[in-house]
Amino acid sequence: MDEMVISHDNLKALAEELLKANCSLVVPDKEGVHWKKISHSDELNINSKAKPTKTSYKEFVFSKTEPIFYFKNNHDGVELVDQNPPEEKVIFFGAKPCDANSINIMSKVFNWDYKDDFFNKRATNSIVIGLMCNYVDEFCFCTSVNLSPTSMSGSDLFLIPIDVNNFALRIITPKGEELIKPYMSLLNRGNPEMSAQITEGITAPQNIFEQEAVRDWIGKNFEHKLFEQPGETCLGCGQCAFVCPVCHCFDIVDEECSYSCGRRMKNWDACQFGLFTLHSSGHNPRNDQAKRYRQRVAHKFKYYVDKFDEVLCTGCGRCSRGCPVGIDIGQIAKEIHLLAAN
Amino acid sequence: MNIYKPELMVIKNIVDETNDTRTFKLQFKDEETAKSFSFKAGQFGEYSLFGEGESTFCIASSPTRSGYIECSFKKVGKVTSALTKLDVGDVIGFRGPYGNYFPVEEMKGKNVLFIAGGIGLAPVRCVIWNVLDLRKDFKDVTIVYGARSVDDLVFKNELDEWQRMPDVQTVVTVDPGGQSNDWKGEVGFVPAIVEKVAPRSENTIVIVCGPPIMIKFTIPVLTKLGFAEENIITTLENRMKCGLGKCGRCNVGNVYVCKDGPVFTYQQLKSLPAEF
Repeated sequence: MDEMVISHDNLKALAEELLKANCSLVVPDKEGVHWKKISHSDELNINSKAKPTKTSYKEFVFSKTEPIFYFKNNHDGVELVDQNPPEEKVIFFGAKPCDANSINIMSKVFNWDYKDDFFNKRATNSIVIGLMCNYVDEFCFCTSVNLSPTSMSGSDLFLIPIDVNNFALRIITPKGEELIKPYMSLLNRGNPEMSAQITEGITAPQNIFEQEAVRDWIGKNFEHKLFEQPGETCLGCGQCAFVCPVCHCFDIVDEECSYSCGRRMKNWDACQFGLFTLHSSGHNPRNDQAKRYRQRVAHKFKYYVDKFDEVLCTGCGRCSRGCPVGIDIGQIAKEIHLLAAN
Repeated sequence: MNIYKPELMVIKNIVDETNDTRTFKLQFKDEETAKSFSFKAGQFGEYSLFGEGESTFCIASSPTRSGYIECSFKKVGKVTSALTKLDVGDVIGFRGPYGNYFPVEEMKGKNVLFIAGGIGLAPVRCVIWNVLDLRKDFKDVTIVYGARSVDDLVFKNELDEWQRMPDVQTVVTVDPGGQSNDWKGEVGFVPAIVEKVAPRSENTIVIVCGPPIMIKFTIPVLTKLGFAEENIITTLENRMKCGLGKCGRCNVGNVYVCKDGPVFTYQQLKSLPAEF
């Protein structure tokens, strides 16, 4: 494995060069709320001890809302005008493993048969500079979903803080290599043993459940009362889906721009909303919140695994940290694990 | 390619089936698209009126009849209400065909029983014409159709046509109280009429579509008549947006109705979580 060392100052210089090369740099903001595009390297925020931002960078590959085409009604009939997703190179700078793996995971559903180019173009044009994670709180559970604070899955380059001023930089993919090649003068040769010592000494979140056990249990206990309690407290606000780095449900709606023209939009949606599955006949297969909550848990830990061999969760804990009524999906999975064990 | 962008279709004909149900006959505006388009009985599409949105309906015409498709819809929501206001010559959007289909090939050489209720006749009508257009490939053909009242019967002309066909047994019924003074058909709920008609279950495939309540009470009758669970075929009609297995709302367990369905055998349905 290629291992280099880059100083904090040179990381800033790298960011400056990438900005000059017309790349969009997307970084966690210093307030810890969301990921944003920056225009100056001073805004870079590479902090392995930082809590995950409240929202993920999902919106840069899977837009909150975007037009999928425009329509014009004129006297010859209807004309449809294509909307192509923007062609820009986006670099996610300093993504913890629980963010870095999100594009890989979502890529499965957007490509299993029909290919969603709105997602794919952005995914292809994105580069992930991962960052080892030095943060743990009671909501983190990446180690229970096949990730860890040092997991490099999804990263093209990976940073490991080795001292106050320096990062080990590992080149993970050809895409990462291509990105860093023109800037090799900013790097020094590193010592893999040194960074290995650091990654081995890291405090990882406790492994709180076995994914396979949870999956099997859900398959056998669809009607279990376990889902009743979260169903009773859940407000159905959908924040969990919106802050999640891998929730990908969406709605398709038309917006009129004027009397004669408009656009069709693809918007984020959430399985916790009562209208999500409501038929026009009035029938609703998920007609109460417990059923909707069960769908959320089962989709993440069973259905997605059955279909795509991938857990639809990175263990970032955002949904639980942000839940206004304190529903903690990690604890629910843990509870399932315990039920499965007994 | 933009998988969400529809093709344009022109409304060639409109039939008012009931006071709130219409059938559109549609042709692609683009000739190349028209030439390359093909589908199988049971598949569905996303139909849209620009500015109002998309709705999911099955293709109600038979693949044996090329050059056009038909769809039937009931005026219940925003899109279907807006579609109702359209005239012949107007243009709508269409994406499809999506989903799986009825096993018409495997049905060849067998008896076929069709059971439909209300607007559930639309997806069944597609297979009925498919079978009737290839009549000699199939053995006995029986159709049992019911609606709430005489006014709620759809495809009335075709019901008459099927009843006149010597090699098709067609039984039409209306719910008790739904008959008119000159009604000559049966009076009774679909499950009871199926029991009365008592079709042979041996070497027979049954396709049953209609309101959930009708299906719920028809299945025990079919089981009693000796139909195997894998020979009872129906469709699920979950709410959909993309039709492409992505938007996340039509799933029943790990099955996406838009991709793995809408056609399922009763045996398959029984293996799914009860959430549909």
